[in-house]
Amino acid sequence: MTNLTEKLPSAGAVLFVQRPLWQRVLLSEYLVVLLCIVYFVAMIPIVPQIASLQTFQNILSDMLPLIVVALGQTVILIIAGVDLSMTAIIAMASVVGASVMTGTGGPLAGSPLATPAGILTMLGVGAAIGWFNGFCVAWLRMPPFMVTLATTMFFSGVAIWYVTLKSTTTSIANLPRSFVVIGQGKIYGIPHSLWVAIAVGVAIHLILTRTVFGRQLFAIGNNRVTSEVSGVPVARRVHMAFVISGLCAAIGSILYTGRLETGSPIIGANILLDIIGAAVIGGTSLSGGKGKVIWTVMGVLFLVLLDQSLKLMGLTLFMVFAIKGAVILAAAIADAARTRLSGR
Amino acid sequence: MPIWVRAEGTKTIAVLFDGLTSEFLVAGMDAMQADLESRGFTMLQAISNRDDNVQFEQVKSMIANKVDGIVIFHTDSNAVIPAIRAANEANVPMVHFNRPPAESDAYSVAVVADNRGITKTTVQYMVDKARASGRKYKAAILIGDLGDVNAIGRRDGFFDAVDPASDIIEVVARIPTEWNADKAFSGLTNALQANPDIDFLFASSDFMIPLIEQVLTPLDKWHPAGDPKHVMFGSFDGDSGAYAALESKHLDADGVQDLFFEAKASVDLILAMGKGDKPAKIFPDPGFAITQDNLMQERDRMWGYSQWKRKNG
Repeated sequence: MTNLTEKLPSAGAVLFVQRPLWQRVLLSEYLVVLLCIVYFVAMIPIVPQIASLQTFQNILSDMLPLIVVALGQTVILIIAGVDLSMTAIIAMASVVGASVMTGTGGPLAGSPLATPAGILTMLGVGAAIGWFNGFCVAWLRMPPFMVTLATTMFFSGVAIWYVTLKSTTTSIANLPRSFVVIGQGKIYGIPHSLWVAIAVGVAIHLILTRTVFGRQLFAIGNNRVTSEVSGVPVARRVHMAFVISGLCAAIGSILYTGRLETGSPIIGANILLDIIGAAVIGGTSLSGGKGKVIWTVMGVLFLVLLDQSLKLMGLTLFMVFAIKGAVILAAAIADAARTRLSGR
Repeated sequence: MPIWVRAEGTKTIAVLFDGLTSEFLVAGMDAMQADLESRGFTMLQAISNRDDNVQFEQVKSMIANKVDGIVIFHTDSNAVIPAIRAANEANVPMVHFNRPPAESDAYSVAVVADNRGITKTTVQYMVDKARASGRKYKAAILIGDLGDVNAIGRRDGFFDAVDPASDIIEVVARIPTEWNADKAFSGLTNALQANPDIDFLFASSDFMIPLIEQVLTPLDKWHPAGDPKHVMFGSFDGDSGAYAALESKHLDADGVQDLFFEAKASVDLILAMGKGDKPAKIFPDPGFAITQDNLMQERDRMWGYSQWKRKNG
């Protein structure tokens, strides 16, 4: 049903269209919040444990590293790109950082510098791979899908090979306690990783909303050609976006590695769909030009809530994959519908 | 079994495997389920798809689900330690199925096959047969991934049996495979090119049996026991392919991880730990060797035989 109210043409004629309820819900910024609440309430009779303090704590701790990584992906999606290499960056940063910090034959074994050096190394790895991805996409004009797919294969393999050089097992353990607490430690039940996630979230929010750089990213995502013509240094901005993505993957790696107390070449190997899916579920558009930190956080919350409920139900792996895949597909379809409805 | 069918008052055991990509793991999950059902317990299952972080999250979910114990088959022996700690903090007993964790201050029990002892028994049968034949042999061993304690145990067990028989058995090839079929294939092919008269062969895992057949057949060396061209052949695991090869007499002996024993022991240990007992961190599965001489008597204990029966009716 459409109500049409039309003011007669004058300077600034305005046309108001009241959308049907389903379109307003679909276009709402609070859709994911609503989904989270509805899903949570629906699950309580089926798995009452979902409403326990322990489950809330599990959801929070599972969300935090994924939020950090998904925010990096959000920046890339805003410029209408994609970064498939984030899981490989997580793995590579994990093993290289662990090899620096490890107390078993590491160069800084037992030293108070082990943890800061390890963290800087991990950030360096993330930034370097992000820089390389950005260089290929921005300056060599290669498709982001192709570049990041190639780098994910390359660095996934390099991470496995690297461990064979540094360890007699399939991972690098004996990491300093001061590093491990970043991923595992809590004070008064609040995990340390929460502060890391908040810092990354605030930083990216400020970049996207308060800087010229951020506005230019949105412009590039909306229309690259128009941006170029308008004087936006598109190549430099795209390059920097990939560096940010690499850094976010590295920070995520710090949290994952600390959590497992181990540098592993297969850490995070299966979370790529979760990373992209969380951003899309939250409302970041695959077409570019649209995204917010809070949307990604809500997307991660919904995905982790869904995941947690499926784990509590004890469903088989195949059912979990099928259900999560269906939800992410539905989110992508919703994104396409929202793009059409909003007239872009 | 999904959570909503859990009966009031029954014990619930979470069984967390990293995958169901091998016959051994599928059979292990089935054996665990059968044992739990026979005791009237409920099983909650989760597969991590070889992702340590996912498995850690699954452990925390099961703890939130207030399970009475967790049986886990992990991917990485270091990365599983935080999961053990989480179970310790929640007073939930944890038992590792077949694969031990790395050494740490966290407490759990691992039911582990005595790889070295089982292999020694298996290869000793082959050595005794070799000695009875009255002739000398040239031997090759296909070794698993040297980062895997199981592979090291099997290698050591092989040499425990073969070294004292150096008067009749000369080891001419030690082939590293890293548990990779392609590496095993090319390694064995090269070894046979360098030493065409290899006639005593041990494979550290039954998954190599098909590729060994592929290598030996064109060289006219794939013949059953009793044939003059038969290559004395032993392996390890106890899968359905090994049973088929034993039945056709191409395989002389196979070291078997007693999967039914390991599944039952895992549950027994969970119950004991739940009562406050603190068993030793390693609970050995003595396993056994199944050979041409005891095939009929021992095959019902062989987990691969039950898989073979299912496939062949």
